[in-house]
Amino acid sequence: MRPNEPLGSSTRMRRADRWYLLGLCTFAVVAFHPAWREPQFANISLFGWLMAALMVLSPMAALALFLRERRGSRRGHEVGSQ
Amino acid sequence: MSIELGLVIAYLAICIAVGVIASRRVLTSGDDYWVAGRRIGTVVNATAIMATLASGGSLIGVMGLTYKQGIPATLALFAGAVIGFPLASILVARPLRNFGRYTIADFLGYRYPHTLVRWLVPVLIIVSFTAYIVAQMKAAGITANVLLGIPYETALTLSAIVFILYVSVGGMVAVTWTDVVQGALMLAVVIGTATVMIVDAGSAPKLLAAATEAAPELGRVADKPVSGYLGSFVIWATAIPVIPHIVMRVFAARDAHGARLSLNLAMVAYAVIVLAAVFIVAPAGKMAFPDLEDADAVFLRLMQSEFGPVTRGIAVAAVMAAVMSTTDALLLACSSAIAHDLVRGAWGRELSGRQQSWVSIGSTWLIGGVALYWAFSPPALITQFYTAAIGLLSASLFVPTIAGFWWRRANLAGGVAALTTGALVYLVLALGLPSATISPILIALPASAVAMWIGGRFGRADDASHLTAVEALHHD
Repeated sequence: MRPNEPLGSSTRMRRADRWYLLGLCTFAVVAFHPAWREPQFANISLFGWLMAALMVLSPMAALALFLRERRGSRRGHEVGSQ
Repeated sequence: MSIELGLVIAYLAICIAVGVIASRRVLTSGDDYWVAGRRIGTVVNATAIMATLASGGSLIGVMGLTYKQGIPATLALFAGAVIGFPLASILVARPLRNFGRYTIADFLGYRYPHTLVRWLVPVLIIVSFTAYIVAQMKAAGITANVLLGIPYETALTLSAIVFILYVSVGGMVAVTWTDVVQGALMLAVVIGTATVMIVDAGSAPKLLAAATEAAPELGRVADKPVSGYLGSFVIWATAIPVIPHIVMRVFAARDAHGARLSLNLAMVAYAVIVLAAVFIVAPAGKMAFPDLEDADAVFLRLMQSEFGPVTRGIAVAAVMAAVMSTTDALLLACSSAIAHDLVRGAWGRELSGRQQSWVSIGSTWLIGGVALYWAFSPPALITQFYTAAIGLLSASLFVPTIAGFWWRRANLAGGVAALTTGALVYLVLALGLPSATISPILIALPASAVAMWIGGRFGRADDASHLTAVEALHHD
């Protein structure tokens, strides 16, 4: 690599992680829109419910992605060792 | 009172004993003292991470905030913390763990090797964390005052001495062992309390409906601008990936994989505690005590009125556990900022393992003493107070850290610019000069990013070998 060449292209985030981050950001942007502030469900602002949903869905999705990545890399090791 | 006091004294004595036992192992090895020899298993680390983050603010403060500002605004803040974990898992866990040192200051000093970085990062950590410790000490003080009848100042002093003691002598090993117990205790008390409240009310929806009928403000978004609670959300989302006491847990994991899984599991446990507190316990407290002067006391008042002495004693221990499990990590991070980052990293003094341990012990007592002095005149709402303190770290460290790992053009000029710009802008706005209607983090973070971009675009590119080494951190 020449001295002024930027960091190599191999530093790439996994596609699934990129989609996850994009989904997270999109959800957060939508949730913070003022339109959700006044309407309520069960006496609680829809904004509150969206935040609660974020707290439930984001850990579940993150774990699912992580376990999928782990299964994929294990299969890769098994194939490589055959 | 005697049963509660006895339970709490027994619990605190165990913590000190753990510190003393751990000290035999850790006082000669930096690796053992700071990162528990990098041998912490995934589930243990996950519990410890959850306990580290779930502080007095997550137990006492989350309910106080819900009581005062309602469910939606409270969830906005804590949702930020929850999503901070996957951000940390995806953005920093692997490369940081592969970097294999002790602190975030180590990484930033390596990535942007400049004297300003080596001095400024530890100073920012010490300032922010001391404020964070003050808030935790208040939680311990009011808990002992309300549930044990001990004067606030006495409770403050005694609890501070206990956790300074076991942290200073036991390091990360003691912190981890006690965190596991503390995490389990917190989960048990919050879920147990929520269960009792639900059974009393008949069901969770019935409890929530009754509470929001009696106090409609519980369900409304607090009367503050969007930027107020958006700012809290952004602070915590961007703090978790760079906040030193969580980062040290990444370094303590056995490997990158373990670090990532620990963060994910911790997030699940943390979300459970917060949701149970916000949707069940705090509303029950609001119904039972609608006119509390100190909102942070709602959980304690509930404990006092609803449960017998043994349960109250366990609850006090759980709150102490929440406070201690975070404060111990904060103290350790502060002492590492002094002993490892400043003395060794910035000043360049080489110390033997034992010398460094003694400097660490002294630093812990110094920071703890300063925080204790400050805590005698505590802030009003603890969660808001320490969120503002953590905002300083988010504003200054997030962009240079993430860009340092992921942006191809991140360079020394950009890193230094981002660090200083984020810190300065945040401080100026947070101190109210000029007064801003928008949350300081929402200006400081973009300002830091712009500074990074300008430096990266127009500054000299980093050495190819340096960039190659950074790139290699992404691969196991």
